[in-house]
Amino acid sequence: MTAGHGNPGRPLPYSDPAHQAAHQFLVEEAALLDAADYAGWLGLLCDDIRYLMPVRVTTARGAGFDTLADMAHFDEDLYALRKRVQRLATDHAWTEDPPSRTRHFVTNVRTFRSSAFRSDGAEFLVESAVLLFRSRGDTREADLVSAGRTDVLRETAAGLRLARREILVDEAVLRTQNLAVFL
Amino acid sequence: MNFADQLAGVLADVRRGMIPAYVYSDPEIFAAERDRLFARSWVFLAHESEIPDRGDYVVRRVLADSFIVARDESGEVRVMFNMCLHRGMQVCRAEMGNASHFRCPYHAWTYRNDGRLAGLPFHGEAYGGEDGFPRQNQSLLPAPSLAVHNGLIFISLDPGAPPLLDYLGDFAFYLDFYTRQSPAGIELRGPQRWRVKANWKIGAENFAGDSYHTPHTHASVVDIGLFREPKASKRKEGALYMAGPGAGTTYKLPPGGDFAAQLRYVGYPDVMIQAMAETWSAEQRALVEESGFMVSAATLFPNLSLVHNWPQIDERGTVAPFISLRQWQPVTATETEVLSWFAVDAAAPEEFKRNSYKAYLMCFGSSGMFEQDDVENWVSITEMAGGSMARRLNLNSRMGLDSAGQPIKPPLAAFAGPGVAYQGFGEFNQRHWLRQWTDHLEREPSAAAPVVDERAVDERAVDERAVDERAVDERVDLGGAR
Repeated sequence: MTAGHGNPGRPLPYSDPAHQAAHQFLVEEAALLDAADYAGWLGLLCDDIRYLMPVRVTTARGAGFDTLADMAHFDEDLYALRKRVQRLATDHAWTEDPPSRTRHFVTNVRTFRSSAFRSDGAEFLVESAVLLFRSRGDTREADLVSAGRTDVLRETAAGLRLARREILVDEAVLRTQNLAVFL
Repeated sequence: MNFADQLAGVLADVRRGMIPAYVYSDPEIFAAERDRLFARSWVFLAHESEIPDRGDYVVRRVLADSFIVARDESGEVRVMFNMCLHRGMQVCRAEMGNASHFRCPYHAWTYRNDGRLAGLPFHGEAYGGEDGFPRQNQSLLPAPSLAVHNGLIFISLDPGAPPLLDYLGDFAFYLDFYTRQSPAGIELRGPQRWRVKANWKIGAENFAGDSYHTPHTHASVVDIGLFREPKASKRKEGALYMAGPGAGTTYKLPPGGDFAAQLRYVGYPDVMIQAMAETWSAEQRALVEESGFMVSAATLFPNLSLVHNWPQIDERGTVAPFISLRQWQPVTATETEVLSWFAVDAAAPEEFKRNSYKAYLMCFGSSGMFEQDDVENWVSITEMAGGSMARRLNLNSRMGLDSAGQPIKPPLAAFAGPGVAYQGFGEFNQRHWLRQWTDHLEREPSAAAPVVDERAVDERAVDERAVDERAVDERVDLGGAR
């Protein structure tokens, strides 16, 4: 699950400060999302962010692919993500008003330092699993979205920032009414 | 009351524009839709661009019936019921791929990608050879009716379905704006698929003609400057048209522009405008240039919708149009699978394709900022329609009619397209869609007519080619083989 980055080698030991910083970044990010602090969340993104969630498909084991190369649920730059956040902040974003209650469970974090991304070692490849619990209203069953994520975190003067995220969703047919949420 | 009497009452109410609310949740109505509507109507399955090469296939459904849509070794499009002739296993369990043959995982009966049975194990020992089981006439059941228009592959479960072009009628005129902008036609990407707890009819009606919801439901996309058109003052200038089995909405274009200027306004580059000018008929061009309307959302009865919008996709103010096709695939009375594709002219410049794709993702589909608020409404309607009180409520769908049932305004005289068009708000199109729904539900359930594969007469040729085991092993679809 390295999303086109090839074999990144062995993950850093859990005791490595870089791994701990990456793990903490993901947990803090999840806290912002679950608090619906989307402006704060945008602050964690690099200007050249690419936020990608390909469509997952059911294919034969030998087919050699299980995502669509040319169709995604999200394929966002910073402008598109800003628009989404701006929209949620209007008085007319009905799908999230009343808001969903969400919980992003982030686990299975593995951090890789690799010169494949930046030779100065200022970027890390971070894999994680996310389980999104989303509850709306008082009568509907809650939704779950399970996904793996492959992130590129960049060290900046302000701390770690997200430069790229590829979300590998574990369903070919999503069971949530829309993606008015971030993973 | 028995169901026939109840249904007759429902249909009478719907025909006068008063919709018993529970039709958006009721399992008996859903069963009637399955047996009387989807058992007969032409239904969209896929586009030829999804299966460009020999052996390419996708698997799609008509309600519970799974079909393999494949391009066979001769390049022809085949649609086959995805159920093994022997014990009924789903022959292909992947949703897409490339295969010369499909092998059933249960007993290894193996079919060519045109559906013909190519081989089965121990034919001689187990069946006594051709005498016990003649292989050469055997084929996965073909779709009872199959036709392709502008690359759009439709099937009908009724072998006596009218010719597709007869069915499409005047709506074919409008379909070209979405699916034939140049001789190259469209290429389809996707679909995104997701399930919503909403009745399938609500989205189909909405896309057919609900311009009235746009200013309010989609206020947020105007607030953030994503799409300038949906505000009420502009939306109410648009025309609603009904033509054949389809209906759609349009936006009024700025006054005075010629054909090229109007298409530039919605973001098309000149090379594409030139292709449209050469590809579309004089009447199609006149709808844009003289009438001054640009197509937006539409629905082809029963469950294929189309949309064309032109949002701003970057800080520089680039306006990029996009086209999306989507299917409302009924799962139950209260659940629908949405299949949403991005469509783009295959001959369009690469930069346009990139921008148009971005426009699509921002606006429609599983994450689209338009779509998000629609689905919230439709889920809520479906939930409310499930209770006892909903059985006492007829929803008013009479917008645009006076108390005598006459339109409150005359049809638009200056509208270059076929069918009937009205300017401004009105539920003409939804009633047009619902009239077709009532006409289908009024008919008796479709009898299960036998499906005849005309290729059975070709059996000698098949027999000579049959069961070359090496051919069977080549490119056999593993989704079917395991």
